[in-house]
Amino acid sequence: MAQKAQSEELSKDARQPMSKNILITGVSQGLGLAIARAVLAEGCTVSGVSRRLSGHYAALQEKHGSRARFHAFDLSRTDDIKTELFDKFLPLETPLHGLVNNAAVAYDDLVSNLDGARLRALFEVNVFAPMVITKQAIRSMLLHRVAGSLVHISSVSVHTGYKGLAMYASTKGALEAFSKNTAREWGERGIRSNCVVAGFMETAMSGTLTPAQKEKIYQRTALKRATAPGSVAAAVCYLLGEGAASVTGQNLVVDSGTI
Amino acid sequence: MSSSLLAVVNEVRTNKGQPSVEALASSLRWREDLGFESLDLAELTVRIEEKFGVDVFADGIVTTVGEVVRKIEKAGRT
Ligand SMILES: NC(=O)c1ccc[n+]([C@@H]2O[C@H](COP(=O)([O-])OP(=O)(O)OC[C@H]3O[C@@H](n4cnc5c(N)ncnc54)[C@H](OP(=O)(O)O)[C@@H]3O)[C@@H](O)[C@H]2O)c1
Repeated sequence: MAQKAQSEELSKDARQPMSKNILITGVSQGLGLAIARAVLAEGCTVSGVSRRLSGHYAALQEKHGSRARFHAFDLSRTDDIKTELFDKFLPLETPLHGLVNNAAVAYDDLVSNLDGARLRALFEVNVFAPMVITKQAIRSMLLHRVAGSLVHISSVSVHTGYKGLAMYASTKGALEAFSKNTAREWGERGIRSNCVVAGFMETAMSGTLTPAQKEKIYQRTALKRATAPGSVAAAVCYLLGEGAASVTGQNLVVDSGTI
Repeated sequence: MSSSLLAVVNEVRTNKGQPSVEALASSLRWREDLGFESLDLAELTVRIEEKFGVDVFADGIVTTVGEVVRKIEKAGRT
């Protein structure tokens, strides 16, 4: 009973915009780090997850103290997400107001070389983990009666098509369909679900591309340049916030204007 | 146990603007007799999990109050 009263107090307090608790996956580097930085700057608490604690995220912890939480977890262990990620880091009594499914891995190869084991590993991290995390996030939102926001990071490759990205793009297409249907299912409880469809960014994930390949990709955009992680992060913040209260089931494209 | 299950049931009913029930007979059906729809049952599942530490809908469809009570008792959290 005492625990219940305490969690109610916590949820009341956490419902204030200043102390919203946002789970972000893949915070060690790249886009996830940029999103964590932007969400912290808005005054929210970030519950960050990746396999390792990077120096960059540790610097955020130094700056923001207890608002920058971290839990090391390998998202390919999808069967352990409830016991090892949620029960230990975000137990049911801790209210959750937003989720950003950002962590993902790349798989660049021709379809004719498709390898079954690699494909399964790809779907484990890029599709199954975000789905299971969404399940747990919705359960938390139901318990605390939080009208939360779910944001999934997709990729322009779903809509444009690039040589070598068929397997990777299909994981993001799955995520977009999952988001749309989640929005429909949970809308009456005020829970929103949207995707941010990112264009090519200069992160580790695209690091294997040659300058010539990158240039070719940028020439296929209106702005003729890479997508800025900060711009994608700002779109995520918008979808997490009250300004997007009437936005659900959408794909917000942030990609330098792919043409 | 049945009084705390009753409290959980009434919490969900109150949240959806329905009057509280005074007692829970084992034979009551969640949907037909208590008016719970699928999302209400999802909320009920989470509230039961928080209170009794058991996911009562995890392994199949549950129709009556008695079935939930048995699952909670089986998990030893009475
Ligand atoms: N880069 C692009 O051009 C581009 C374009 C469109 C969309 N996107 C999408 O944007 C998102 C972020 O990508 P990025 O470019 O920032 O990639 P990145 O630099 O490779 O970062 C990926 C992040 O995910 C984490 N991660 C990977 N595997 C994990 C696992 N098994 N368990 C836990 N964490 C894991 C990594 O942390 P650890 O290694 O520490 O675990 C890292 O923090 C992804 O969803 C990606 O698909 C990227």
